[in-house]
Amino acid sequence: MKNNNIFKKTLAAATIVAGLSAIQVAEAANWLMLQGTERPGAAPRAKVWGFIQPEYQSTDGTKVAAGAFNGNDAIFNQIRPDLNGSSDLNVLRARFGIRGVSMPLDSNVNYFFLAETGNNGVTRYANAGTAGMRMTDASVTLNNIKGARIRIGQFKAPMGEEALQAVHVFDYINFTGMTNGLMLERHFAGDGSGTFVKQTPTGATTASNSNDVNAPISGVSAFRDVGIQVFDTFKVANIEHSYAVMKGNGNGLNRGDGDSNKDTYLYYSAEQVYGGKGPKRQGLKGYIWSIDGQRTLTTEGAGTYDRQRSGFGMTYRKGKQRASFEYISAKGMIFTGSDGASVPGTSIGQLPVSGPFGTNPNPDLDGDGNPDNQVRVSWNVATTGEANGFAIHYGYAITPKVELDIRHDVYNRMTNVTNAERIFTTTTLGAQYWLNKKTHLTVNYELRDAEAPAYASTSNTAKVLDSLDNRLSIGLLTIF
Amino acid sequence: MKKILGMVAALGMLLSLTAQAGDFAEQSIVLQISDPNPFKQTLVLNVASNIIKHYGQDKVNVEIVAFGPGLRLLFAENANKGRIKSLSSSGVKFSACKNTIKAMGKKLGHAPALVSQATPVGAGVVQIVDLMAKGYKLVKP
Repeated sequence: MKNNNIFKKTLAAATIVAGLSAIQVAEAANWLMLQGTERPGAAPRAKVWGFIQPEYQSTDGTKVAAGAFNGNDAIFNQIRPDLNGSSDLNVLRARFGIRGVSMPLDSNVNYFFLAETGNNGVTRYANAGTAGMRMTDASVTLNNIKGARIRIGQFKAPMGEEALQAVHVFDYINFTGMTNGLMLERHFAGDGSGTFVKQTPTGATTASNSNDVNAPISGVSAFRDVGIQVFDTFKVANIEHSYAVMKGNGNGLNRGDGDSNKDTYLYYSAEQVYGGKGPKRQGLKGYIWSIDGQRTLTTEGAGTYDRQRSGFGMTYRKGKQRASFEYISAKGMIFTGSDGASVPGTSIGQLPVSGPFGTNPNPDLDGDGNPDNQVRVSWNVATTGEANGFAIHYGYAITPKVELDIRHDVYNRMTNVTNAERIFTTTTLGAQYWLNKKTHLTVNYELRDAEAPAYASTSNTAKVLDSLDNRLSIGLLTIF
Repeated sequence: MKKILGMVAALGMLLSLTAQAGDFAEQSIVLQISDPNPFKQTLVLNVASNIIKHYGQDKVNVEIVAFGPGLRLLFAENANKGRIKSLSSSGVKFSACKNTIKAMGKKLGHAPALVSQATPVGAGVVQIVDLMAKGYKLVKP
């Protein structure tokens, strides 16, 4: 049944891609080739490269406006990855790498290495929860078999354009809600159910007390996996067709597999190239992809759960205009943020529990005969949750050095549980200024909104979501 | 009779000189590529293209001689093979050093496959010296 659903979605997406091809429109960069191969006969033995991206982000710092954590810092108004302030100057990314062909006479073998030293989700919990530098890419590609290149190691897995593209040519600073929530995987040992505070639509509040923060056990996946990928690109009747099939650990940047289950990645794109080359090649591309895997939790909510992701989209780039659309659907292992939208680790002491029959200021939820001591906010994962989202982007280069961008994205989280459903809508206004071909400044202003369809606007849940601030981001990025 | 013989001899010398530098060519240029740097590979092709554009295809002889690490420019699987084909159709000659082919063959275990436009010559550096003796100017981009 599960596979049948994925097949239906894939078929529907394939129809869209075929339609895009049929109308003779063309696409943009081919990330499978740009990241996985080198130019034959013209690649160096070792090309040193990298990029640095300092940034500034700010919100109004509005506190949680209601509920059990009323008055505490709201996680969505704190600046990641440290979550200890509503404005922050940060070196978001600082990566260095080497790529090339190990033996210049043989173009059939190339390699790609990249390490991250910036302060972000990759490095924040890099080593068993503590901060540190992290290798993001280390792969070898064998090009000996025509039509079936083989890439082995740790690298970006084939998926949607926003995640698969090189981040140093990303038009914005923050990812869309759907890509951040569904594709930038956080790795946990439990589901966070040890601590929970819930308010039902009727107004009753239930809670469970625990000291367990359910902190991430490692850095975010950075859209990467350790595995083996077969891929290539063919040009047929003026359309460039690309495919990738991959088996991976499904454990992000972590060493080894979290369990014995492997993820299966499928990807296909069709593109007609208008001109140019590299990351900013002009054209129109349609693509579909799917990921099917499982995750194993060992503490709270222990068990093995399906994790499925699929999507489709298109990109367009020609002359001064660029645009993209992307849709993602997800089942299982949905990251649902923190308790009461507060910052994980926050302790609010004893939690009074209210209900239809009044408020109990000294609850004994664990039933040991003594009042409970405290509630500590934890991270949460909905193991059987479902979600989806879409994003649409348009950019216009008003001069060769200045580009204006606008992006609208909607992330619908927990669509299969009425009380838990949250819809995050963000419209991002952006401007980019190129100081030279390798250095550009990006300014983003995100108009952010969140709602819980099952709750009245006067409910605590709605009030908490109303606390969501707009966000200003300024980033400078230089590639060397 | 002496005048006729003299005219024939003068015509012979003129024909000989013309043949050395190519028919109707005003310039003859040999480009050396012996560097593995990909940017140098692109640059030598750009220079050849610019020479053709400036003088005109029929008024200049251009020969690119590849030897040492620069022979990668003429590998059959080459990102620049499209440009090589295009330049060849514009009259640019490509010479590949046999000594380098032999040396690379030892490392690879087989002789490297070259683009069809490449003509093997005895030794790249000797080819350059011979061309210079015929009036070619050497440029090393």
